[in-house]
Amino acid sequence: MKDLLEEIVDEGLKAGASFCEARFFEERGNRISVENGVAKALGFGIVRGVGVRVIVDGRWGFASTNVLTRRSLKEALADAIGAAKSLAKRRGEEAEIIDVKPAVDTVHHKVRVNPEDVSPEEKVKAMLEIEKAARVFSERVKDTFVSYRDVSTKVIVCNSLGTLVEETTPRIHVHCTVISKRGGNMQVGFESIGNVSGYELVERIHPEEFSGRAAEKAVRLLDANPPPRGIYTVVTDPKVGGLFVHEAFGHNCEGDLVFGGQSIVSDKMGKRVASDMVSIIDDPTQLRNGHYVYDHEGVRAKKHIIVKDGVLVSFLHSLESAAKMGGEPQGSARAQSHHYPPIVRMSNTYFAPGDMTLEEILEDIKLGVYLSGSQYGYVETQKGQFTCKVEQAWLIEKGELTVHLRDVAINGSTLEALKNVTAVGKDLKIEMPGICGKSGQGIYVDAGAPHMRFEGIVVGGRK
Amino acid sequence: MAERIDLATPAEKAARLLSAMNMDFFDVYVVYSRSLSIGVLGRGIRDAKSRIDLGLGVRAYKNRGLGVAFSQSLEPEDVEETVDRAVSFARAAQPDPYFKGIPGPSKAEDVPGLCDKEIICLTLEEAGELVKRMIDAAEEVRHGAMYRGGMTVGYSRSYLLTSTGISVEMEKTSVSAFIEPTYRRGDDVGSSYEYDYAVSLAEIDFEAIGRKAAEKALEQFGSRRVKSGALPIILTPDSTSSFISGLMLAISGESAVKKRTFASRFLGKQIAPQILEIVDDGTIPGAIASSPYDGEGVPRRLTKVVGEGRILTFLHNSYSAGIAGVETTGHARRDYRGYVGAGPTNVRVKPGDSSLEEMISETRKGVLVTNASLIPNMVSGEFSSTIDEGFLIEGGEKKHPVKNLMVGGQILEMYRNIELISKEGRTIGKGFFFPSIKISRVKLAGG
Repeated sequence: MKDLLEEIVDEGLKAGASFCEARFFEERGNRISVENGVAKALGFGIVRGVGVRVIVDGRWGFASTNVLTRRSLKEALADAIGAAKSLAKRRGEEAEIIDVKPAVDTVHHKVRVNPEDVSPEEKVKAMLEIEKAARVFSERVKDTFVSYRDVSTKVIVCNSLGTLVEETTPRIHVHCTVISKRGGNMQVGFESIGNVSGYELVERIHPEEFSGRAAEKAVRLLDANPPPRGIYTVVTDPKVGGLFVHEAFGHNCEGDLVFGGQSIVSDKMGKRVASDMVSIIDDPTQLRNGHYVYDHEGVRAKKHIIVKDGVLVSFLHSLESAAKMGGEPQGSARAQSHHYPPIVRMSNTYFAPGDMTLEEILEDIKLGVYLSGSQYGYVETQKGQFTCKVEQAWLIEKGELTVHLRDVAINGSTLEALKNVTAVGKDLKIEMPGICGKSGQGIYVDAGAPHMRFEGIVVGGRK
Repeated sequence: MAERIDLATPAEKAARLLSAMNMDFFDVYVVYSRSLSIGVLGRGIRDAKSRIDLGLGVRAYKNRGLGVAFSQSLEPEDVEETVDRAVSFARAAQPDPYFKGIPGPSKAEDVPGLCDKEIICLTLEEAGELVKRMIDAAEEVRHGAMYRGGMTVGYSRSYLLTSTGISVEMEKTSVSAFIEPTYRRGDDVGSSYEYDYAVSLAEIDFEAIGRKAAEKALEQFGSRRVKSGALPIILTPDSTSSFISGLMLAISGESAVKKRTFASRFLGKQIAPQILEIVDDGTIPGAIASSPYDGEGVPRRLTKVVGEGRILTFLHNSYSAGIAGVETTGHARRDYRGYVGAGPTNVRVKPGDSSLEEMISETRKGVLVTNASLIPNMVSGEFSSTIDEGFLIEGGEKKHPVKNLMVGGQILEMYRNIELISKEGRTIGKGFFFPSIKISRVKLAGG
């Protein structure tokens, strides 16, 4: 395959491209779905193809195909060149990339147990054990689901800068969802674990702790109250902080959104964007779900400090955004598959730890809300308005957690919220393995934070 | 862009292999698709893309256990591996007590107008010109926005083959366009978006999309916080779409019949005033969500889902219908990755006798919601969402845009509190229709 990719890149240059990239993508994976004690479906899939990207006459062209014959790849190259040429006279963003030193390397992440060496029957047995711990937790448990997924992703990036990089990354994800019920009241609890890993990740799961915790949440939420609504001091746990740092702030620092005029911090480089207690980091080198060694433009990934002591110090870059904004590409461009061009993405994003304990953070709050666990979040980057939906919450009264709350969401303006951070804990956890969507592309990421305190946040609720 | 890739040969090869493996049921689904897209970012057009996708998916059942497998390669050895995996997984899976079998063949009426030659013949140059017209129209309203958006045209052809004798081939085209201009005035931001999608290119007015998006974006300047309280809200058609989609999801398929959604216990029961009527119709000629057959080869049909405020039926595939002990309603959804779900097609809310203008003028104090995601927690029905774009209404008049305002509550209470439905509304893709809806009282959390 590498020879064929090199041939396509050479032909692209000969045909007049100033930059040409051919990227092979293959993802092979297995799934198991357990529902109420029955492993009712097992699945397998192969995603495979090549994406070709060119710059011709100062414009980007891209084409992809699942058909891996020489003829089909040459057609894709012709389509990509034709696509770029079709835009040559159109007003728009000029395509450019920064010149970087080429990389030639092959990376295989080592695993202790290859999931392909574990039989489907053995995997089913393990998932049934995990599911059972949730099902037997309480009579209030109505439905239990456990899903398992192992996936091996191979990417080969070949481009006209001379880069030829191959990286194969194994990942495992296990997710448990529990529905509890009392009369007409139904609630949901969930837990998930996922990382760049072999099957050993499953072997480390303690069912009572993992799915038992999901069941406990679902059952306890039956007795939780609707939240108050209005403006409160809130304390976020590592998952809510992780959701916030990723959704509300991180997306604003993606170089393509910055040069595309979609970010609220495009003119804030070197300026204060947060309380001086706040530092924000995106680190693909950490062995978490968003880990990789080379990005999908073949650039070796480094740890990125985005905000240092409240001051914006860098953006995340692709070859393109680094060229347009004068930054240094440090490996932040990734693509969901061969069908998409690489765009700027976060990896493992987190608030750096401070020095306080949770008790110290809570102690002088007269009335506030403690937010725990994340459901989902989204941001309108151009306006800087965020929404985060959390799993559960507690009222804080005189420094103590009191009334249990459910269906809580918070909303606000990102920069106002960050300037109103008044406490940062020392208990950093990066435990939010997931897939982040942007421009129709889903990418493996992780996020986290220590416990943090924000003043003046809108809490939505029914009360 | 619609070259003839042979789908029948790999599908029949997979079916032959499966037939020899003593499965109880199986189906094979192969899809070829091609799309062209133009991306917009910043000052204008950023890139042009072309994509060919191809995939084969297999569902195999043995002793009520399901094995699914797919491959994006139709090379003989990959088809063989896909079949082998599906078969070995079906044998390793445990019996699903709810599984009753897969549908047999039945003949559907033709649904005309689902394939637009103009889309099939469109070049990227021509697509670029259409997007340019969309941007130019926005620039004419106000010069100098930064944009995000684009357009995609696509053609797809699918082939379904089952062990029960179904053999169905379908093809379809689609076009979608959207643009999101952002204007800045100091620290103030005016941003919004407009979109459209359809089966045929001729149905999309690119200039109108650009113009409306820019006008809506400019209206968003000067947004202000609104105090918390309980007020009436008026949903414009784009917000009604989200409000009704939550209900349609909650009455679809396995989750609905296994009593896992907020709507599960309301089959046959009143959930809204009598003025609410919703139909689902997958047979509308030329409509975006129409097709002769669903994902399991069952003919599409017109289904009255909500009548006089009462939920009349759930939307079924064969699996959920089997659990409920009814016939499938032809709402199976699938791609070639194998799993089959259920969901609505063209959703149409019956127009009422009010109008958006009347709703606003008769509201002393309330909020006009022009863009919000009102999808609740599917299990509990509770929700808490941001009003992404909306306006305060005071004294019967639309005032300033709102900011950082959340709406929350129980979605069932929102349906119960429907007060007025407008006679006019928005038709999307020749199929969907959403009017404006006034809800008498909703809890709002603001500044």
